[in-house]
Amino acid sequence: MDKVTVQVANIRKLFKGEAVIHDVSLQAEPGQIIALCGGNGAGKSTILRMIAGILRPDKGEIRVCGLRWQEDRRRYARQIGYMPDDYRFSAGLTARETMAFWAGLKDVPRSHIDEALASVGLEETGSKPVASFSKGMRQRVLFAQALLARPPLIIMDEPTNGLDPYWMESFIRLVRQAGASGQTVLFSTHQLQVAEALADRILFLRDGMIELEGSSAEIRRQLGAGGFQDAFASLFGIPAAAESSRAGREQGEDDEG
Amino acid sequence: MKHLLQVMTREIRMGLRNPWAYSFMGLFALFMLSLLLINSKGYIQGYSGVSGTMLNLILYLLPLMTLMLGSFSLTGEKEEGNWELLSTYSLGTLDFIGGKYIGLGIVLLSIIAVGFGFAGVLGWAGGAGFQLDTYMLLLAFSASLALMFLAISFLIGSLARNRWQALTICIGVWFFLIIAWQPLLIALLGSLPYMWVKPMLAILTALNPAELSRLMAVIKLGGGSIIGPEYYDWVKWLRQPSGTWSYLLFAALWIFGTGGIACWLWERGRGRG
Repeated sequence: MDKVTVQVANIRKLFKGEAVIHDVSLQAEPGQIIALCGGNGAGKSTILRMIAGILRPDKGEIRVCGLRWQEDRRRYARQIGYMPDDYRFSAGLTARETMAFWAGLKDVPRSHIDEALASVGLEETGSKPVASFSKGMRQRVLFAQALLARPPLIIMDEPTNGLDPYWMESFIRLVRQAGASGQTVLFSTHQLQVAEALADRILFLRDGMIELEGSSAEIRRQLGAGGFQDAFASLFGIPAAAESSRAGREQGEDDEG
Repeated sequence: MKHLLQVMTREIRMGLRNPWAYSFMGLFALFMLSLLLINSKGYIQGYSGVSGTMLNLILYLLPLMTLMLGSFSLTGEKEEGNWELLSTYSLGTLDFIGGKYIGLGIVLLSIIAVGFGFAGVLGWAGGAGFQLDTYMLLLAFSASLALMFLAISFLIGSLARNRWQALTICIGVWFFLIIAWQPLLIALLGSLPYMWVKPMLAILTALNPAELSRLMAVIKLGGGSIIGPEYYDWVKWLRQPSGTWSYLLFAALWIFGTGGIACWLWERGRGRG
């Protein structure tokens, strides 16, 4: 296995002539779980979609397991399991049929389909039309799809949207399992508690740039904030929360004094 | 090839479970039956008023139906995010477009076959059907028309960003090729020197798959004389024993030409990201 799963070097992306991603670099090793956090329009999804091979950077280079998309896109794609954020399931297909289609394209044996559905608790609803599923159930089908071929890299765009607390716990467990088995996980989220609970490294993005990077402990230390919510507020200048964060810190200092 | 079959199977499954397919099937069957009612006097053989009306009515309905089904299927892939997901797979663009074309082609041919079958069975039972050779020719005409317009619909689906855009282009293309073609042709040819009329007509006919199919069907049904002397070259070519093969070659060129451009556009979009 390569020492580095993902190598992103100085990528830039322009939309209608305007840069939305500015010289971003990152590296992920096998077994690492990395969260991309930031407000709306920070560039989280764009970076993930470039690494997944959907978008092409206008500058810089992306390598996954040492491969470039431009050189061998089929082998590149086989290294990745991608879970999109915005996906509408086709009407008329059941969850099992949808999974069977994906499995066929990933050359995964059909016997793995039930196993994948069971891992997200959908083994009994597999024969129902997937378009009729709730948002959380659809997220679980997409998650099972990303894990299907057990690729070295799993990329997930806002994977916890719509998950209930029970499945949030299961999701965290499954991602940890993937990391423990040597798979690299990259995901975006605006749920800071998920990033804090799961990620070995967190990247805070603002206006297409990495504003802050480190483990949750490092980020707290750098910002001197009590919690992630405070760190986020202080970093992005959200007045009320930043105020409460500062008040909290001052209170803490007084107590210590 | 394996991936192409996967895409094709999914397309057939989705197509045959799509309420639209059944609406079109019902409409097509109803329309075929109404034509039989018009001809309730007896069996239809060769080119007649009824088979001519039927040709024209198929020409109105089938291309529009095909353009909508095909282009909506492709734009749906973009709008629903399915193509975005599939572009992270090791799936070739040709496998994707080819699989969808074959799958949708099978769905469309099933709709046509059911429509014809329904009318055929009822017609024969009631003694007001078509002679077998006339019936098979009309079926072949409908099938080739559908397959050519399906390729055009893929080109529209590749260009359009969403279903609304696709619908607008579909209606525009249908109106131009089916409704406005004859008056535009008359206006254009009327402004040309007389010696250019026949060669221009021969060339322009090859550029419209609906017109080409209509000519082929009329000539093969024995109605070549009603077309007019300007079409003499086409009548001569298509009446020859090799005429059917020439028509099939034209149809194949249309299908592979427009389908190929659609595939190239799709691949270009993927490469540029």
